[in-house]
Amino acid sequence: MTIHVYAGLKDYFLPEFELTEEVGNIDQLRACLLAINNQSAKLLAACRFAVQEGFIDSTYKFKSHEIVIVVPPSSGG
Amino acid sequence: MEGRGGGSTPGVVDRPIDLVGLLAAGHHPAAGAVVLFSGEVRESNLGRAVAYLEYEAQVLLAEKMIGEILSEAKEKWRLSVAIAQHRIGRVEIGETAVVVITASPHRSEAYTANRHIIDRIKHEAPIWKCEHYQDGTKEWG
Repeated sequence: MTIHVYAGLKDYFLPEFELTEEVGNIDQLRACLLAINNQSAKLLAACRFAVQEGFIDSTYKFKSHEIVIVVPPSSGG
Repeated sequence: MEGRGGGSTPGVVDRPIDLVGLLAAGHHPAAGAVVLFSGEVRESNLGRAVAYLEYEAQVLLAEKMIGEILSEAKEKWRLSVAIAQHRIGRVEIGETAVVVITASPHRSEAYTANRHIIDRIKHEAPIWKCEHYQDGTKEWG
């Protein structure tokens, strides 16, 4: 699974990296990211998640080799 | 090809926004009102002197979302034209970071829809602002 992060999350993670662990859903991905850097907890709690097709919710089951986008709260404009 | 920013307009660009060119695309024979909102970079934020802003986006998702926001608004307020474009990269003080143009037969719908569109883009589209201050520090919005 490839993870892409943006904005303030780049203070805690590389912009793009591979996860070799088996991650089935958003809750497991959050736990995995916290294990990598628990200082991201506050921001991570506010993030949405997306795949190429669009935003996903907690019921979404990740496919293998999926690209997952971690989306911090928007601050455009 | 249809742009996600409305008509043939891309929703996200990495160059200065052409306000005059976009306004020209906002005219429509059925519209008696055209509203243009330009979100511009201020020289200060919460008392701190701003040097410039840097915007980042997940471009594919942002384009898709801007397109959906415009389509929904166009249908809800029966707009003749709905255009939105957000800039990414470094944006200097006084430059336009985002523009929304709405046109409708009467002004009420154009004003209301314009505000709705910019509020949704600010709060929902995957676009992020990093404020670079005059003291050399920076902060993600």
